[in-house]
Amino acid sequence: MSSEGNRLSPATPPPDIDLEAWRQKPLEQQALEASELDGIRIVHRRERFPVPGSRAEKRAERAVALCFVIAFLGALAFSVCYIVLPWQYGISSDGYPWFTPVLGVTMAISMFGFGFGAVLWAKLLIPEEEAVQERHGGRSDVADRETTAAVISDGLAMTGIARRSLLQKALGLSVLALGALAIIPLGGLIKKPKGELFRTGWKEGVRLMTGDRRLVRPGDLEAGGIATVFPATPDGLTTQVVADSVVLLIRLRPGQQVSARPGQEDFGWQDYLAYSKICTHAGCPASLYEQQTGRLLCPCHQSQFNLLEDAKPVFGPAARPLPKLAITVDDEGYFVAKQDFNEPIGPSFWERP
Amino acid sequence: MSDTRTADRPAGKRPATPLGRGADWADERLSASPAIRRNLGKVFPDNWSFMMGEIALYSFIILLLTGVYLSFFYDPSMTEVRYDGSYSLLRGVEMSRAYDSTLDLSFDVRGGLLMRQIHHWAALLFVAAMVAHMMRTFFTGAFRKPRELNWILGVGLLTMGIVEGFAGYSLPDDLLSGTGLRIAHAIMLSIPVVGTWVAYAVFGSEFPGTEIIPRLYIAHVLLIPGIILALIAAHVGLVVLQKHTQFPGPGRREDNVVGERVYPTYGAKAGGFFFLVFGVMAGLAGLFQINPVWLYGPYNPAQVSAGTQPDWYMGFLDGSIRLFPAWEIRFWNYTISPVLWPTVVLPGIMFTLLALYPFIEARMTKDRALHHLLQRPRDVPVRTSLGAMALTFYTVLLISGGNDIIANKFDISLNAMTWAGRTLLIVLPPIAYTATYLLCLGLQRHDREILEHGVETGIIKRLPSGEFIEVHQPLGPVDEHGHSALEYAGAPVPKRMNRITSPGRKVKGFLIPVAEQKQGRDSGLESDDDDMPAIEADGGARRLAGRPKDPEL
Amino acid sequence: MTDRPSTQKGRRSRTRLRRRVTGALALALALGSVGVAYATVAAAATPKAQTAASAVGAPADEPVDVRKGRQLYETGCITCHGQNLQGVTNRGPSLIGTGSAAVYFQVATGRMPVARQEAQIPRKKPKYSEADTLQIAAYVQSVGGGPEIPTGDLRGDDANLAEGGELFRLNCASCHNFAGRGGALSAGKYAPPLANANDLTIWTAMLSGPQNMPVFSDNQLTTEQKQAITNYVQTLNSEKDPGGSAIGRLGPVPEGLVIWVIGIGAIMLMILWIGAKS
Repeated sequence: MSSEGNRLSPATPPPDIDLEAWRQKPLEQQALEASELDGIRIVHRRERFPVPGSRAEKRAERAVALCFVIAFLGALAFSVCYIVLPWQYGISSDGYPWFTPVLGVTMAISMFGFGFGAVLWAKLLIPEEEAVQERHGGRSDVADRETTAAVISDGLAMTGIARRSLLQKALGLSVLALGALAIIPLGGLIKKPKGELFRTGWKEGVRLMTGDRRLVRPGDLEAGGIATVFPATPDGLTTQVVADSVVLLIRLRPGQQVSARPGQEDFGWQDYLAYSKICTHAGCPASLYEQQTGRLLCPCHQSQFNLLEDAKPVFGPAARPLPKLAITVDDEGYFVAKQDFNEPIGPSFWERP
Repeated sequence: MSDTRTADRPAGKRPATPLGRGADWADERLSASPAIRRNLGKVFPDNWSFMMGEIALYSFIILLLTGVYLSFFYDPSMTEVRYDGSYSLLRGVEMSRAYDSTLDLSFDVRGGLLMRQIHHWAALLFVAAMVAHMMRTFFTGAFRKPRELNWILGVGLLTMGIVEGFAGYSLPDDLLSGTGLRIAHAIMLSIPVVGTWVAYAVFGSEFPGTEIIPRLYIAHVLLIPGIILALIAAHVGLVVLQKHTQFPGPGRREDNVVGERVYPTYGAKAGGFFFLVFGVMAGLAGLFQINPVWLYGPYNPAQVSAGTQPDWYMGFLDGSIRLFPAWEIRFWNYTISPVLWPTVVLPGIMFTLLALYPFIEARMTKDRALHHLLQRPRDVPVRTSLGAMALTFYTVLLISGGNDIIANKFDISLNAMTWAGRTLLIVLPPIAYTATYLLCLGLQRHDREILEHGVETGIIKRLPSGEFIEVHQPLGPVDEHGHSALEYAGAPVPKRMNRITSPGRKVKGFLIPVAEQKQGRDSGLESDDDDMPAIEADGGARRLAGRPKDPEL
Repeated sequence: MTDRPSTQKGRRSRTRLRRRVTGALALALALGSVGVAYATVAAAATPKAQTAASAVGAPADEPVDVRKGRQLYETGCITCHGQNLQGVTNRGPSLIGTGSAAVYFQVATGRMPVARQEAQIPRKKPKYSEADTLQIAAYVQSVGGGPEIPTGDLRGDDANLAEGGELFRLNCASCHNFAGRGGALSAGKYAPPLANANDLTIWTAMLSGPQNMPVFSDNQLTTEQKQAITNYVQTLNSEKDPGGSAIGRLGPVPEGLVIWVIGIGAIMLMILWIGAKS
């Protein structure tokens, strides 16, 4: 489809047809012959209702019309409901929860009416037909291929690229550089990872606080209790700090025996333990604590950690124990961290020792 | 010769109607008449399974329409704001502007929730329809030469669709999608050597930063839809260029297409079908609540909900990451995360195999020919069984992605679910292969049997010897033993009397078959029926034709 | 925006009324039982033979509900939890220090008495009436001590809903799901759905930490915070879903099921119909 409109001869060669004779034929025959110009043969065509205006035809027509009427009514109902119905949603008894369902259903009715109408029209009223179109697949004709190749080769020859080796090299060089030019600005995205992956918001003397900024004291948890705690710093509740510093503080039940990894024996305080809440597998907050078994489950991939054995992974895809935060109680009786975690929190990464 | 004819009709008659004059105006400028005639007459083969790609196309159009609407209200910003909208259960909560605007869109924009729900349902349908369409393409061998390129485009579309879906799912910045992003971050970190660099490049800083939602937004509304549109154009363009494949049947050959012309019949059906798909989406959006972000709450890295899952198309990844054992590799001062294998390596292998399958199969079968006629799955047992095996593998992964919900709802131990998933992932696919293979052979044998002996009529006859036999209606001329020597032609073999007159064609009526009227047909198509002559004179068979629903294999 | 205040107000006043009534009833019940207990202190209780046989013995001034609770305990609970609440090895744990809150939760939700040993004791139809439950609770409280059944307003003012939601998501949703629909724990254990919980069972669960649930003491989650959480949970339970059926409020799994079964299913029927000869 070329968009040139002012040519004197048609864009494609005129079809091989006797126009005068063709014009005299009935429309159906005209279309049949017209299709054959494009290699389409209509091999079978049958009126759905051989007798026009029969009762069966009227019935079919009415069925299609009914569909479009339903489409009309659905769209009308949709518009009216959209304008008239109370739409603002309130919780509990006075809320009006039907706005969206009513809109959805009326829209669906309207769409179904139109869709079924169109398909029924095709199935019930449009004459049944079977058309056969020729398919020309595979390689192009040898003449086409060779002539095309000649055009391409001639063009290349005109540029003389084959014999001008200096130009070849210079062009190759510049194309490479231009290709690089397209990618290089993406360098703006690249950031050197800093030590953040190895650090969190905890350091020596930082107190533990709850989500409502209350400092935590040893009496706050009952045996078998847990609390999610954050560093009691001004930015301790910002998303960025929470994302790597959130800690689960656990008070064991009486009689629960704990073992600790070498070097972490004094990280807990009496019957309190503090672990990073960020799962070492994929970084979800692992916080499904079973206070009787001492197991901690991550809801994302079902890794299970035994907090009584220093959060050793006992089931599921996590490979490393949860990092343990060393805690103690300061002079004023509040929990404080003794230091930052002694290993990176969260999922593994290449540079992690 | 042609010169005189051109001279005969310099411009034709001047059109009488305004429509005609408009067409003339355009044709003068575009010379489009022949192209329009050719394309309106384009023939599409008629089979229900050929419409699955259309579902995907239509759901993509629905996604564009509703997506534009949503973009009027959504604000992809991670600035912290305090919610002050209608939903009182969150009023006063600190949240990102992205989440806040999603709530406004749902509660304070009239009809906004409907649009959001249509958009989300259509997204689920988009990928589901692509998977269904791909299964049809695979099992019928439609990907074979010359359509390997289009298969690869299709795999590209599927991949892009999944990425696009995940980006959109993340935009509301709610607790569920935020948790998903955190996992995506862990997946990026798991890449050896460059993992941390990749994560920093995508997120702009340590997780979560303030860049990711705006970046996902522009990817979701511009970059990926642009790529998808281009791929769709190429994909559909190739179908037009190469013409659609068709099932074997009377009159259907490698060098033709038998069906209905686009204009008017096929166009009316396909156009109507768009509205039907839209209707299903609107109905789902009205009747079933999807992604209620107001219940999830805003994203907070300290919070999580039990039963955290992605949308279904990411479910297989969630399943693989749940099932994979805790194998972490540590050497010198470096670590390879256990997340790498199930979420980077495994899908990498899966999608590479998928994309290369046409070439793999061509190499195995040494089949270099062009194919426009489809195969019935039973006739290619190895491919069908491979497909069943891959589907089984995928389905085990997909189900394992929701194993905690299943464990909870059906009172099964979570640990048992995980172990069952690990075991079935290895045990089931070979079983599926074997079972499918045997099933294919059985179906083939049954087809051959009918071609040889004829269709069971249900009529029991007593022979003079006193023996009872069932009368078989042969499908072709028979020899002295009552056997016919019909070749299997790759088309469905009639197994019931009421299908006998229409080999390869459907029975009249939907759900309940009704007898087809005998029609004198004048087409050349019928000449091929010589292979399978219809029974003309048997009133008995005709009467049997109304018999409802024999169990069919 | 403009018409919201009035509807909100109406709704709020109605729910507040209902809540006040519930609160008042709970208060009356608690006060009543205490009152009755004190009123009958003077009445000389005749110690029965079986109580006399117990090691602790029945104090002569035992309140009537404690006495009745003791009778119920000694018929229904003693086999597993022992004569002095000390527990029986391999049968039942000690109840010393568990308090009336734990008893209320376990008995009122039907978990106690237990039917058979499982990974986790399931919720059942309660065996004891509310009054009996409170009596058993009073008895266990009087002997063993521990967290008590709360009294007073259990929900507080609706202004706490957003705070309740935040606390719920931080402390509860990880096991009970974002909408309180429950979730799986390790090896067959689970966090039950909260749909059938009443205010008192939510409170007593937080206070006593039944089975594997952690304890949330009053020092950790204050009374106001527990009110807020309870209010949020119960509001969610009664909240209508604005977008149609919530399909379980379970997230993407049922959504995936719906798109494949209903969405793809319906469209497949349509294409079969379109493809069928008419």
